Amino acid sequence: MSNNRVSRRQFLNYTLTGVGGFMAAGMLMPMVRFAIDPVLQKAGGGDFIPTGKKVSDITEVPERVDFAFEQVDAWYTSEVTSTAWVYKNGDKIIALSPVCKHLGCTVNWAGSPDHPDQFFCPCHGGRYEKSGKNIPKTPPLGPLDEFEVREKDGLLEIGKTRPNTLV
Amino acid sequence: MYWNSKDISVFVEQKEFVDTAVIPLLLIDGQASKLKQNASSAEFLMALTAFIENQFKGRVILMPPVSYTTKTNRQQLGQEWDEMLKEAGFKHLFFVSSDMGWVNEESALNVIYTPSIPLENMDRKLRQSVLDDQLRQIIPVFAKRWASTT
Repeated sequence: MSNNRVSRRQFLNYTLTGVGGFMAAGMLMPMVRFAIDPVLQKAGGGDFIPTGKKVSDITEVPERVDFAFEQVDAWYTSEVTSTAWVYKNGDKIIALSPVCKHLGCTVNWAGSPDHPDQFFCPCHGGRYEKSGKNIPKTPPLGPLDEFEVREKDGLLEIGKTRPNTLV
Repeated sequence: MYWNSKDISVFVEQKEFVDTAVIPLLLIDGQASKLKQNASSAEFLMALTAFIENQFKGRVILMPPVSYTTKTNRQQLGQEWDEMLKEAGFKHLFFVSSDMGWVNEESALNVIYTPSIPLENMDRKLRQSVLDDQLRQIIPVFAKRWASTT
């Protein structure tokens, strides 16, 4: 023991390396954490809102489905009800956003007696085909947005909107 | 759209498309016995007009409610608003009220009368469907008036 004495110089060296190491680590760790942050992000698309609609009840005819979710606006939480036009295209469920691409009114399926198989916007007479494709020479300039959908326990769940993928 | 600076700037730019004002007419009756019913009908009217706004977002501007008392001269009030809003550039004015007084009044305002339904004891779903039903009755009134003058 005693012949293995630590000299003052050695002791100081050890301490300095130790403390210096900790300091370097303290600086580098957050940097590394920031650098690899994108990898650690949770995969998105988890925000599906359940609706009360049974998937087996959905038909080929577009039908209104309401769903409610909580919207947080700074410190104020409010419950917002939103709507989708849902129908089956073969086996695939399609949910279209009812917001007109013109100035944001709500479109209705078969809203105009003259066009029973189209979406109709009562504000300025905009029309869309069943796929959401806007009909030329009506005011809207683009197709209706589409919602992401999935099925859970036989009930329909609705996710985020995305640009129409059918057109 | 609403009466706020953002929406009004859209109105100013898109006058050709945004040409309609929706004005809730709200009777405030201070009699102690009528306070509660009065507040309930105000709640209904505000909810209903917000539904109308949502449906016709791209064409109408929902005005802040015009409140008046039992002593107000309805005829004059209506006329003032009518003139002012037409001057502001609105082609169509839809006055909505659940005050029977407007129905009896022979006025050129064409107030849309909706009987008030107490919403306060309903849960969200029921409230939604009640308002939807009311809205469905109002949509044709709007469509008809828009069609008749364009």
